[in-house]
Amino acid sequence: MIFPFWTFPAPPAAAFPNRAFIKRPILHVTLQRGTRSVNALAIVDSGADECVFPASLGTALGVPIPNPNVYVFSGTTDQPQNAYFDNIHVHVWKHVTPGEIAFSFDLYAGFCDTLEHVGLGLLGQNGFFSRYKVTIDHTNHILEVV
Amino acid sequence: MSPVSLSPVIDLTDVLKDAPVGEWIALSKDRSEILGTGKTLEDALKAAKLRGEDEPIVLKVPPVSALIL
Repeated sequence: MIFPFWTFPAPPAAAFPNRAFIKRPILHVTLQRGTRSVNALAIVDSGADECVFPASLGTALGVPIPNPNVYVFSGTTDQPQNAYFDNIHVHVWKHVTPGEIAFSFDLYAGFCDTLEHVGLGLLGQNGFFSRYKVTIDHTNHILEVV
Repeated sequence: MSPVSLSPVIDLTDVLKDAPVGEWIALSKDRSEILGTGKTLEDALKAAKLRGEDEPIVLKVPPVSALIL
């Protein structure tokens, strides 16, 4: 199934003085745990080992934070970050028909405070790339998930 | 038909251009309108619910210093 990239506003920076936006390979997802659910966006990120989301989304789903399923990881710095994992269900929306589901899968997902400032989830290697063949075509601004 | 014409980019630059940076934002399901904002996710969800949307799309516009690499 093919999904388009999403364009976000991005103000210019010293390194990118002419930049006004960023295009990202993003999926619109509904995260579900029992009877609770929340609609969010997740970047398809081949550089992420796991699938992680902001802690607030976990709280909205009733995921205990903290919980014993902690994973200490690091991102672009050597500062340790704690992600607390739980089993959820992920529904991926069709982009042309909001609310219509393209596909769904079970996911052992992490929730961490350090993604809170970003407000987007990351669909990484374990749980997403391990389950689907993913093609990110930046030239044509499309993402294919098979 | 080319893949590009099949799947145009979903452009949030207009709807998010005046969105408060660093706050939670509740978007309408058709991505055309901000229904609520808040310093917490709960605040944004409550604001959207007051506008009649129980299940908005939630996201943030991160500050420049926190753009994902």
